[in-house]
Amino acid sequence: MSDPTKQHGWEAEVEELRQRRRAAQALGGPDAVARHHERGRLTIRERVAGLVDAGSFQEVGTLTGQGKYDGATLTGVTPAPYVMGLANIDGRPVAVGGEDFTIRGGSSWSGDRKKGGQGGFIEDLAASYRIPLVNLVDGAGGSVTSINKRGHSIFPGVHGFERSVELLGKVPVVSAVLGTAAGGPAGRAILSHWSVMVDGTSQVFAAGPPVVERSLGQKITKEDLGGPEIAVDHAGTIDNRAESEEACFAQVRRFLSYMPSNVWEAPPAVSASDPVDRCDDELIRIVPKDRRKPYNMRKLVGHLVDRDSLFEIQPTYGKALITCLARMNGKVVGIVANNPMVYGGAMDVKAARKQIHFVEMCDCFHIPLVFLVDVPGFMVGRDAEAAATLREGMRAVYVGLQATVPVYTVVIRKCYGMAGMGTTEKNGLEFKLAWPSAEWGSLPIEGGVAAAFRREIAAAPDAKLREREIEEELRAMASPFRTAEAFGVEEIVDPRETRPYLCRFIDAAQARIRTTLGPKAKYGVRP
Amino acid sequence: MAAIQVKAEVAGSVWQILAKVGQKVEAGDTLMIIESMKMEIPVISEDGGTVDRIMVDEKAAISEGQVLAVLTR
Repeated sequence: MSDPTKQHGWEAEVEELRQRRRAAQALGGPDAVARHHERGRLTIRERVAGLVDAGSFQEVGTLTGQGKYDGATLTGVTPAPYVMGLANIDGRPVAVGGEDFTIRGGSSWSGDRKKGGQGGFIEDLAASYRIPLVNLVDGAGGSVTSINKRGHSIFPGVHGFERSVELLGKVPVVSAVLGTAAGGPAGRAILSHWSVMVDGTSQVFAAGPPVVERSLGQKITKEDLGGPEIAVDHAGTIDNRAESEEACFAQVRRFLSYMPSNVWEAPPAVSASDPVDRCDDELIRIVPKDRRKPYNMRKLVGHLVDRDSLFEIQPTYGKALITCLARMNGKVVGIVANNPMVYGGAMDVKAARKQIHFVEMCDCFHIPLVFLVDVPGFMVGRDAEAAATLREGMRAVYVGLQATVPVYTVVIRKCYGMAGMGTTEKNGLEFKLAWPSAEWGSLPIEGGVAAAFRREIAAAPDAKLREREIEEELRAMASPFRTAEAFGVEEIVDPRETRPYLCRFIDAAQARIRTTLGPKAKYGVRP
Repeated sequence: MAAIQVKAEVAGSVWQILAKVGQKVEAGDTLMIIESMKMEIPVISEDGGTVDRIMVDEKAAISEGQVLAVLTR
């Protein structure tokens, strides 16, 4: 050790800086960290390290917190329960931050709040530098104890979501729910383009079990109230589930790999290893000739896009629809495919919600859309009407018609009614391909004949036979080839040719994408 | 022995029951077929196991999420 009396520089101050940094590294202290680990959760610092490129995290606001002093001498620091900074993911800069649950359960107050969690520096950084934001959410939100500290209660929204809302039109925003998120942090998690939570260790709700019991007399566990089964599978509040925090970070990196850094840049293309002219033979057999038999649409999608390029969004919610980010000849595309295994692909309220968010997200980031259509229409029945399927379904149509990215419509089998209408682009080429198995109209023939030809059928000696005859006559005329003769669809393709055909046009569309970048104007009122 | 509930992904009616009580099934096997939206929707077992109980009859109306069968493993 050097003799302190011989120091000429700022060694003493730098020593204090080190002491303060050690306090920040220690989070809520060894006991709190041990308790956090026992619950199967990583600390915020372990999370950041697990998410970003090794050694790329440059922290901001390391010293923020409440210092404790003996006279003028620092004796300790309680760090702000939010850790954030600049980092790289796959070599691209991102703003990343998250609550530190080991300090006051992640509840911030006063100057601590300026770092992030609800607005704050981290969101300003994402907005100002036009880089993606990753929220690592683990906090219970406001605490009534802050009334004691301030001497007054605060008006909601003083530390508001205005920046969070602005970001949704400018840069990719991802939320990973990694613990129990209630109140503000739960709301913050939702204000994202894509969100994910971890099985077994994370829950999300507007208010937790004690508030629910007080308000409604309901006794319910955290898991039953806001675990992934409710929040992801049933409600679609959060998009995807992950088996562990590590798996969750891998999903976040994967999601961001399809995203441009901001809306002023094109989505990142890669050089594709999968041949463009790969024409899988199975495609000619995948759709059964029997119209009542469904097939595996996920498998079909897999044959069309670049190998290993699929990332499904909301795989367990609104299962009548499949939404995936993928690549075709290395270019990012958004796939919207009806799933005939669930309600024959009919659009129910959940499928409509899923389609709305996905189409809006792809449009925002200039990701071309490929609709793989097998939709008999909106879901029918009392439950569907009671759930406002018609209204939500028309919202999906409305949002689809407002999208300005290139859209490719590939009719695989059924394309009927208003739900079918929402699968085409109306501001550009309105480019529609069809497979020979395609059929379309305002409603399926078998449903419409009985109503439209009621008198004729009733007057016939054999009513059932007449109904079948009329169906067959109409079906013969409904051949997709006849529509193609009239240029009512632009092309009918051998199913095996779908991939090369789409790749060709998606490659060519890159010029349009490059020359129409920037934020999307919002106008009109959604029905 | 773990009991696995096989639930309906769709509302509709039971068209055909293929699995029998006591039968061993593998993941991917079709246990029954539901008729919904004029389509024959297979109910596919996500896990392997032995069919312990069939909870519905053919032609029965079923709702989304209803337990159709119970497997044991």
